[in-house]
Amino acid sequence: MLGLAETLATAAAIFGIFMSGCRHVRSAIYLYAVQTALVASIAFVYSASEHTGPALNISLAVVLAKAVGIPFFLGWVVKRLDVRTDSGAFLPVPLSMHVSIALFATSYYLASSLDGAAGTFSAAAGATASISLVFTGLLFMMTRRLAISQIIGFLTMENGIYLLGLHETRGMPVIVEMGVLLDVLAAVMIAGVIVFRIKKNFKHIDVTRLTGLNEQ
Amino acid sequence: MNSLALLTAPLLLWAVCAVLVKNTRVLGILTAGWAWLYLAITCTLAAPVSLGIEPQVTLAPGFSIDATASWFMMLTATIAAGAMTHSHFFFQEEKLREPRPKSTHIRLFYACAALFVFAMTAVLLCDNLGFLWISIEATTLLSAPLVYFSRTRHAIEATWKYLIICSVGIAFALLGTILIFASSQHTSLSAGSLSLQQLIQLAPQLNYPLFKLGFIFCFLGYGTKAGVFPLHSWLPDAHAEAPAPASAMLSGALLNTALFAIWRLLQVDSACHHGRAAFGSNLAIWMGTITVVAASLFLIRQHGLKRLWAYSSIENVGLMLVAVGLGSPGLFFLQALNHSFAKATLFLLSGNIIQSTGSKHLSEIHGLLKLSPMWGVLLVAAACAATGVPPFGSFISEWLILSASADTGRWLVIFLLLSGISLSFIAVSIHVSRILLGTPKAPGSYRHPVLGSLIPAALMSFLFILGLTTGGFVSSTLHIGGAL
Amino acid sequence: MSTILLWLLTFSCLLFLPSLTIGIIRKTKARLQNRVGAPLWQHLFDTIKLLRKSETVSENSSWILRVNTVINISIMITLAFLTPWLSFKPATSADDLFLLIYLFAAIRFFAILSSLDPGSAFGAFGASREATLSVLVEPAIILALSAVALSAHTSNLSLVFALTANTPISQAPLWLLAGAGLFLSSLVELSRMPVDDPTTHLELTMVHEAMMLENSGPNLALLEFSSALRLVVLYGLSGQCFLHALHCIWPFASAAGILLSISIIFALAVVTSLIETVSVRLKWTRAPEFVAYGLTMSLLALLVALVTGVSS
Repeated sequence: MLGLAETLATAAAIFGIFMSGCRHVRSAIYLYAVQTALVASIAFVYSASEHTGPALNISLAVVLAKAVGIPFFLGWVVKRLDVRTDSGAFLPVPLSMHVSIALFATSYYLASSLDGAAGTFSAAAGATASISLVFTGLLFMMTRRLAISQIIGFLTMENGIYLLGLHETRGMPVIVEMGVLLDVLAAVMIAGVIVFRIKKNFKHIDVTRLTGLNEQ
Repeated sequence: MNSLALLTAPLLLWAVCAVLVKNTRVLGILTAGWAWLYLAITCTLAAPVSLGIEPQVTLAPGFSIDATASWFMMLTATIAAGAMTHSHFFFQEEKLREPRPKSTHIRLFYACAALFVFAMTAVLLCDNLGFLWISIEATTLLSAPLVYFSRTRHAIEATWKYLIICSVGIAFALLGTILIFASSQHTSLSAGSLSLQQLIQLAPQLNYPLFKLGFIFCFLGYGTKAGVFPLHSWLPDAHAEAPAPASAMLSGALLNTALFAIWRLLQVDSACHHGRAAFGSNLAIWMGTITVVAASLFLIRQHGLKRLWAYSSIENVGLMLVAVGLGSPGLFFLQALNHSFAKATLFLLSGNIIQSTGSKHLSEIHGLLKLSPMWGVLLVAAACAATGVPPFGSFISEWLILSASADTGRWLVIFLLLSGISLSFIAVSIHVSRILLGTPKAPGSYRHPVLGSLIPAALMSFLFILGLTTGGFVSSTLHIGGAL
Repeated sequence: MSTILLWLLTFSCLLFLPSLTIGIIRKTKARLQNRVGAPLWQHLFDTIKLLRKSETVSENSSWILRVNTVINISIMITLAFLTPWLSFKPATSADDLFLLIYLFAAIRFFAILSSLDPGSAFGAFGASREATLSVLVEPAIILALSAVALSAHTSNLSLVFALTANTPISQAPLWLLAGAGLFLSSLVELSRMPVDDPTTHLELTMVHEAMMLENSGPNLALLEFSSALRLVVLYGLSGQCFLHALHCIWPFASAAGILLSISIIFALAVVTSLIETVSVRLKWTRAPEFVAYGLTMSLLALLVALVTGVSS
């Protein structure tokens, strides 16, 4: 029997898998937002139930910044750049979804060895979901063409790491948490600026075609 | 608290200047001034610690200067001051050439450079793994605009690679930090801790499998930032495409800070084993060795001037990583000091050469000795220092690294390191001799400003004197770090 | 007594629901496209009209073409009795998961044979496409049904779909995913929009229509009815999955189940017409991608079933 937090975590991982099967950049952003909102609600659940977790306002900040702010920003970037779909680079999009399901199963084994509580999914559910999110994000970054997809993949990975932190440690010290959040926001902003510049100079944002330096 | 304000004030004022002052000529002079002021303040703060008068200076909760940090702080500040002074001359020269850099771009460069130095200093001061992670990510974010400076296609591509590869690597370091924090919650301190001092105290109680996993992830993450072999792919691109002063700071200061983070973690790891060399040290030594060998192989086939020095930096990172793995901060610092000075000189000089000849391809740069004997001599000297040729301190540090490996009976490591070092020496000397000799393409049309060689010459003469005195210094203070 | 009543109800559903569902799809689609559309019962009228017509059969065809119709409709009616597609349908003894899957496969087998039989180019074209699609979609259906079977520890579908009172809330995702997997796969199986357009008569693109091209009169009527029945059975099956998910979250009375299990079929019909209004037919080479989404849902359902099965 799964607890509420574990159920939410599993749902976040499943939304991550759906995201990895999205051809449309905009729907991938929406799914990222849902997944982040789920991750942030887990922070809520922990802080409400255990009183040792991060303060409520921290998780609120996370929700506002990551589940609302970043998708808005990315949506704006996508609109300005006028990109719609991202066909996969090395792996067809639906196949990458199947691979991420296989990775979900792999993360179950990793998580059960991590927790030392092998055998029961309920014990390892949180860790499974978070490791799966990390894998999904990494896969998303590696198998997509567009620069914007790489940002989404990075953010998904970061969600997984944040979730693992919540699950394993019930939250890092608040000041560290805030610093990490700030860094991630800054990273997305800078990456966004560079994506605009890539579009301007190359007339596309397909990172698999950025090979000018490999030839030197 | 006062000293913290004192330390940050010049950097913040520098950044504010970059925002407010519109004239880039004035700004360049101001920036150099702030950078030298910052160096002076750093020296006054760090000198008591590095001379052993005080064991530690605490600046704020979680931030303190200990002995090793104090050496690296001074090194970072020196490189920053040198690079910033040179960047004034560099941009003056750059403005004469097409395409002219915009003044807003130069101002952004200076502002980010200030904050970049700030972030690098923060890495050295951190006594907390969380802050360490934040500062290292900040160095990535703040140095990305430096790489991005010229806004050409190649520069943008290099920036994108740098930002994405390093961010992903550092995300793994965050995962590792979380795992280490989780491992500390299995001790008597159930709330857990990220403080390095506390972690070292609690080391025997840590949940070792979790800590080990965390260490591996952190190593992976900070190793990406340092350019350790399979994860180095961003480094040559970023170093080659950044403007010369930025390349000098990346190579001379940033790589050190990433290795410094690994060194911090290794301290905790060896504390887990009661000071005996163990898993973490072996990992560092082997990865370092592999990096040296791989980089020396890459060095053979190079076509870009700055890419050549970038791969040489990777080779030196490998050597420093071995020193870190051997558990000797003194050795680590000695290697870092020599490499930083040599590499800063090389990058600054290469910037001048590229400006004069208008090409960064090795196949198009010939006859440097005829063009500018001064630069030619400096280039040879700096290349010797970077590859560890005797008059310079890097020879001594490499010798000590090899002998320390011999003490622990790592013969395979010694063999690999020796072949890597000699191979890279051969490769670099072939490339350098091609640059120096031959006939320049169109003699007479080149400018070789005297001011541009000021900083390289100063750095090289310092390094030369250092090399001559290091031998005696080392033999008289063999106790530095204990394991020398 | 109540069993007899329920059988009667099932019979009437079996007779009228197929035409009504097709009617709803067509009517909703027409309204969404600003058309008035044919009357709701047009499909039934068409069937009756076709039954009265005489038959034209190609000279080149053999007995297979005619036998196919009989086999098709009889297997389909058997399936409608076996499959628990309505929650009030009384249980039968032989409704094993794999029996159902292979009965569906048998229908397809004979349909393919019959379309090859007259030797028309379009028939063979449709048949090859139908075979490809069925190969792709079968794993998804098997996986989705095995996922729910796994969590019930039986492959007897009446027991699996028996709306037991104590379904824990953690089973809801399993049912939802299995339902979604079944629904997406049945869209392919039934030759509906993203893969095949049921309204098109452009020979190069059609799959299902091409296979029925040589049939006429009563034969065609029975085949049309059979395919409509297949639609309600498959929609009913995925609808039952969604009902179970609802039951996990909010247990409803079994009397409400009668109404719900019929209305969910209508709801899925409306969803289908929505999909067919907003989306376009996929290029044939991209059809496997759509199938892959169904397969993903089924795989996820299986994964959830496995991990929750391990823990319980």
